[in-house]
Amino acid sequence: MKYHVFTRVNAGDDLIHAGTVQADSDRLARIYAYRTYDEEDWEFIGVVREENLLEVKTEAIAGGYPQ
Amino acid sequence: MNAEAETGWPEAAVDYVQAIADTKLLLGQRYGEWMLKGPHLEDNISGASNAQDEIGQVRQLFRLLKQQGVDEEWLESERAPEEYANAPTLDEEAENWPTFVVQAALTDRTAWLLLDAIDHDDFTGMVQKMGEDEYFHLEHQDGRLETLAESQPDAVEAALERYFPQILTFIGPATYDQASDPLVNAGFTDRSVADIRGALHEHYVELFASTDVSVPPLDGDVPDPDQWDAKRRRTDDGHVEASVVDQLQGVSNKEYVIE
Repeated sequence: MKYHVFTRVNAGDDLIHAGTVQADSDRLARIYAYRTYDEEDWEFIGVVREENLLEVKTEAIAGGYPQ
Repeated sequence: MNAEAETGWPEAAVDYVQAIADTKLLLGQRYGEWMLKGPHLEDNISGASNAQDEIGQVRQLFRLLKQQGVDEEWLESERAPEEYANAPTLDEEAENWPTFVVQAALTDRTAWLLLDAIDHDDFTGMVQKMGEDEYFHLEHQDGRLETLAESQPDAVEAALERYFPQILTFIGPATYDQASDPLVNAGFTDRSVADIRGALHEHYVELFASTDVSVPPLDGDVPDPDQWDAKRRRTDDGHVEASVVDQLQGVSNKEYVIE
């Protein structure tokens, strides 16, 4: 599975997309993310399964038209 | 503060730490051998980090051993293979990925349990830092074992049957309980060999509880206390290959050593 890795240096900052890891489980994804992207003193590092990302689409709405 | 802190450790404690340090030295070697052969790039990166951690920990443990009078030249570069006190699980390179993961997991966790059992001021702080490293090693291995138990249970079980008696032998005899363990009695450790054996076994029974993998029983007769050599923590004279020792000692690249 593909996981996206998000990090921030300071509490309160927006998360930045650091990269991705391939892992067979959430447990492994956490370890791989830490090991692969541990080049900064991150205040936060987290992973999200790619399948859990919600795609944002422009869709037709009543009274309007698609972009 | 332990009374031995300023006057030196008990002799058995030097052997105990030597065995942990040599095991970590060989763990670094085995991680290094696999860091370009794992199934994912991420496994390789983690393996390389683990190798680096282990070698760093060895430097610290060797420093303490030198303070206890262990000869630096012998420690670093003059030992024969049969003088290394590494866990027997590491004598040979594993032949495939599932076997390697079991080999590394059992050995790394055991080395950590033995290290964490030390109750001595010389190790305070240092062991806590090592524990931060070890969290990532052990989580990686357990995560890998969980997935391998699903995909290749037979291979995992075969490796457990091969390595579990070896690692029990390295930990020590079941007869070394809280009342009789010499290092507990000396105040150097606060957890007996018998307790560490139980903790290791319990961990893997729980890890594999919902899988098809069976963990070998905690055999109280392994190792035979009458045959057990406390210095090398074995019952036989097995050892790592001479070619591996040459790599550990930098023999083949000695001409490039910066004096």
